[in-house]
Amino acid sequence: MPDLWASLSPIMQDILLALLLIAPGLVTGAVVLRGLRPLPLVGAMLRRFFWVNLLFVGLITVSVGIGVGLLAQERGLRQGTARAAEKFDLIVAAPGSEVTAMLAAVYLQTSDMALVTGAQYAEFAQAEGVAFAAPIAFGDSYLGVPVVGTTTDFVTHLAGPLPSGRPFATPTEAVAGAYAPVAVGDSFTPAHGHGPASEDDAHSGFAYTVTGVMAPTGSPWDRAILVPVEGVWAVHGLSTGHPPGDTRIGPPFVPELMPGTPAVLVRATELWGNYALKSQFTRADLMAFFPGTVLSQLHGLMRDVRSAMSVMAVLTQVLVTLSVLVGLVILVRLIARSLALLRAVGAPLRFVFAVVWAYSAALIVSGAGLGLAFGWVAARGISALVTARTDVLVTASLSWPEAHLVAGFVSLTLLLALLPGWLAVRRPLLSDLRN
Amino acid sequence: MATPALQVSGLRVTSREGRVLLDVPALEVPAGQSVALRGASGAGKSTLLHVLSGLVRPAAGQVIWGVQDIATLSEDARARFRRVTLGLIFQDCHLFEELSALGNAALASAFAPAPDRPAIRQAAGHWLAALGLGSSGPRKVDSHSGGERQRIAVARALAANPPVILADEPTAALDRVNADALGADLAQLAATGGRTLITVTHDAQLAGRMARQITMADGRIVEDSHA
Repeated sequence: MPDLWASLSPIMQDILLALLLIAPGLVTGAVVLRGLRPLPLVGAMLRRFFWVNLLFVGLITVSVGIGVGLLAQERGLRQGTARAAEKFDLIVAAPGSEVTAMLAAVYLQTSDMALVTGAQYAEFAQAEGVAFAAPIAFGDSYLGVPVVGTTTDFVTHLAGPLPSGRPFATPTEAVAGAYAPVAVGDSFTPAHGHGPASEDDAHSGFAYTVTGVMAPTGSPWDRAILVPVEGVWAVHGLSTGHPPGDTRIGPPFVPELMPGTPAVLVRATELWGNYALKSQFTRADLMAFFPGTVLSQLHGLMRDVRSAMSVMAVLTQVLVTLSVLVGLVILVRLIARSLALLRAVGAPLRFVFAVVWAYSAALIVSGAGLGLAFGWVAARGISALVTARTDVLVTASLSWPEAHLVAGFVSLTLLLALLPGWLAVRRPLLSDLRN
Repeated sequence: MATPALQVSGLRVTSREGRVLLDVPALEVPAGQSVALRGASGAGKSTLLHVLSGLVRPAAGQVIWGVQDIATLSEDARARFRRVTLGLIFQDCHLFEELSALGNAALASAFAPAPDRPAIRQAAGHWLAALGLGSSGPRKVDSHSGGERQRIAVARALAANPPVILADEPTAALDRVNADALGADLAQLAATGGRTLITVTHDAQLAGRMARQITMADGRIVEDSHA
């Protein structure tokens, strides 16, 4: 059996699992409603207690929505952060925290890092199998977005051909991210540092002119401004990696004249070559790592958090389900006279049972369906917020795990809804008819 | 279905505390007879009606409709007996407010066997028209007057074409005009349809339309007179 299951395609496994989860509820419904026609009466009861029913549906909607939103949001965040890191094959930095270096180099989160020296840079820039080694030098900002020094190789690697303008060609030119607050032709003076502590006048007298705009990448780089690393060094009064008077940009750099850079993106000529380079430059004075690996470790942590939150969401749903069941039992008391009337005029107990079950099922299925929609809308809203706050493009969409969650929830609650039906037919007929 | 005669013997109904609520040694109602059950409040009229309809199971005795002693039936069997044999009319109508007049009158079509459903719906429409409510079938019942609502309840009782009608103070909530009109309708239904009609009533005019009047006191029959 496990072999048969494993031989199925993932989509087939998902479909079968969803069907297996919903099957108990559907079978229950088919057995309870077989040959009966309770829906007109159920519709009447739903209309009669409209606001109470709406409250119950709302409770189920929120409960299911939390679960659905949690799953969709976690997956969207994981995929978004992975997508943002796709272009960063191998990062080389001074020894320290890989997480810190990754957050700084890939997600442009401000941090103080030791520098890779010119000699070290030259060593791996010239190593066999290296397609290019692009310095990533951060520390300046403009209008709250980072101004990052790098090379045209990196610009092309990150975003492909520019849809607007051209790459920078001199130390005082810049290329803007797709959503950066500057346009082609704008000139600006960068501030030193980031945020409230940045020094706006530290680099007065120096200005970059924007010559091009990158295509969107779905990463924080979309709001960054990329400049030649020589410009960053020059504006800080450092040598530019080239002999004095030499205004060209890009490698090769003269090791003795290169001030150093916090991180370097290294790309191998062949995919497998990245592993050899990582091994080669993981040593006492250097740290080489795959951002994807570090990210997967963080995702592993997120999965643990998600598991904990999923348990909480399931517990919430169980509690809400129990609350709804208690509410349904109370509602059965409200409609007890109508049910007694049905029994008095000859309705079989099975029919009365079916009316109560179908009534409960209508609330449960409505709430679950709305919860699916609510969870999706909430996840999209939160995704938009996360994207706005982090510039990591997070897109939440519904997928099979959410379908499995809802199918399981609906099935379980449809089974539990047998209880109010059972209680309803055990009520005293005559006293219900009189009350 | 042929109208069954009623034969009651040794009937006793007691409260949980053991107090005797009903004590009817013998009662016979021939098929097609109309009967008024009269008496003061608490005399046992409604209890007798509930026992006759199978809503209450007696502590002792037999309640034989035709050849069937309903006191021995299970709850589902008694429900089936009521659906097939009895039309019940309650004092305060007991209607589903969110359903139309026709939806209420044809209520039994929701749980009757599928082959019987069209006939029930057709009969419900017929009886609504016969009772002067032909044009209000699609209207929700909460827009109807008290007299109209009680006639809808009568149409519901008749929709499955039962041979026996049991009514519990059907005119109590109506004004004189509506009470007289409904009383006339019930008497005519009993007379022309060959149905047995047993009604609990305090209404002397309705009782006067019945062929037989039974008076009860303290759970016992104290007077049984024929018109």
